[in-house]
Amino acid sequence: MNIYIEGLLKRYEKTVLNIEKLNIESGKVTAILGLNGSGKTTLLECIANIKNKDEGKIYYDGIEDFERVKNKIAIMQQRPYILNMSALDNIVLGLKYEGLDEKSINKRIEKYKEYYNLDFLHKNAKKLSGGETAKVALLRVAVLERPLLLLDEPTANMDIESTLMTEKLIKDINKKNKTTIVIVTHDLFQAQRLADLVIFMDKGKVIEYSLKDEFFSNPKNDLVKKILRRSDKND
Amino acid sequence: MEILKIVITSLYVSLTATFIASFFALVFGMFFLTKQFKLKDLFIKLFDSFTAMPPVLMGLLVFLLLSKNGPLGKYNLLFTPFAMILAQTLLVFPIIFTLMVKQIDKNALRIQKTCYMLGGRYKDFLTLILKECKNEIMTAVTSGFSRAISEVGAVMMVGGNIKGYTRVMTTFIALETSKGNFKGAVLVGVILLCISFIVNAILYNLKGREPNEYLY
Ligand SMILES: Nc1ncnc2c1ncn2[C@@H]1O[C@H](COP(=O)(O)OP(=O)(O)O)[C@@H](O)[C@H]1O
Ligand SMILES: [Mg+2]
Repeated sequence: MNIYIEGLLKRYEKTVLNIEKLNIESGKVTAILGLNGSGKTTLLECIANIKNKDEGKIYYDGIEDFERVKNKIAIMQQRPYILNMSALDNIVLGLKYEGLDEKSINKRIEKYKEYYNLDFLHKNAKKLSGGETAKVALLRVAVLERPLLLLDEPTANMDIESTLMTEKLIKDINKKNKTTIVIVTHDLFQAQRLADLVIFMDKGKVIEYSLKDEFFSNPKNDLVKKILRRSDKND
Repeated sequence: MEILKIVITSLYVSLTATFIASFFALVFGMFFLTKQFKLKDLFIKLFDSFTAMPPVLMGLLVFLLLSKNGPLGKYNLLFTPFAMILAQTLLVFPIIFTLMVKQIDKNALRIQKTCYMLGGRYKDFLTLILKECKNEIMTAVTSGFSRAISEVGAVMMVGGNIKGYTRVMTTFIALETSKGNFKGAVLVGVILLCISFIVNAILYNLKGREPNEYLY
């Protein structure tokens, strides 16, 4: 799904999001980088209509009316609300809402079981560790297989192995279903491994937006240059 | 035997009042939680202040409502269990309502957004929030019941403490103490305590242990 954003504004006490024009390409993985508080979460949640924008337009495949596309968009929030039921019940809830029967649900879930060690499926989801919770939150939106998947720091709480498997999962979803994926991350290497395109945000604005290789080899913005240079030095 | 009758009347009046108040609190509460409107906070504050309503004052209001010259005087409802149920319902409704709304409101919006994002509809959201907030709802209901079963002012005024008809545990204790019959008063007092204890134990069991919420 293609996303086209125009004149998007979101204010709290201050303006936290101010995007003149942004086009997120269909079928690609786009990584969003940026410092804390730069508006990454706000941008994602405005796209998913979880937060109301103050001004501007968002077109989903050319359609402005969110109601018409809402069942084509899935978001994993930075702080997902996990429901007080088993991990498995959390994961299948969306499929139940979509009216799938038990057989199709099991078949669908089966596809996603290879990625993680899912010993915790029958535990109450509120009693899971941070990483396990993140897996539940990710899986419950991934299994919906909607054309647009928005992920807000999905691996922030995961161990190395789970992080790599999550990246594999994201790549597989993108390849097999041509899902458009937008992922917020603080891990430059993750962006390098996953993304086709990279967005860098600062103070609510997009200050760099380019193809991955271009972004890492030849950034135009000074702040981005500085940050990339610093992370090189620390190696 | 008189004591058994008193205990039964007490339970009947307070359970009925709690049930009716809970029902309306739930219906009203759901409306409150799902709608965003300007006066919402004001409404909640208003009901919150009603939770401190002294039972005798509620007794007085219901008394005026039901007395011979009151608006409902012609139905002859004063000094009946109905009057007691009415008074206690009005007394505990604000308690159950505000406790429920305050507790649930913290998460309602997030539950709603999560539910809708996953493709749920309004009825799915209602089912979900009732399940999610089962503990909060039961805590609110129990607080209401505890208040109802232990109050004496309202039931005394509108029930009249009529032996074998509107006499309940609290009015019995008050009366027997004033007559110097401490033995009977203490006995009923112990029963009252036991009932509170049992209700809380049942609730504790139904609730199960609180899940950790150390991260989210
Ligand atoms: N509900 C809110 N009320 C007030 N300020 C908010 C709210 N949500 C986010 N903000 C502010 O908006 C800015 C951007 O937040 P966010 O999009 O979460 O940043 P991040 O890039 O770290 O995800 C921050 O300064 C944050 O404090
Ligand atoms: Mg964020």
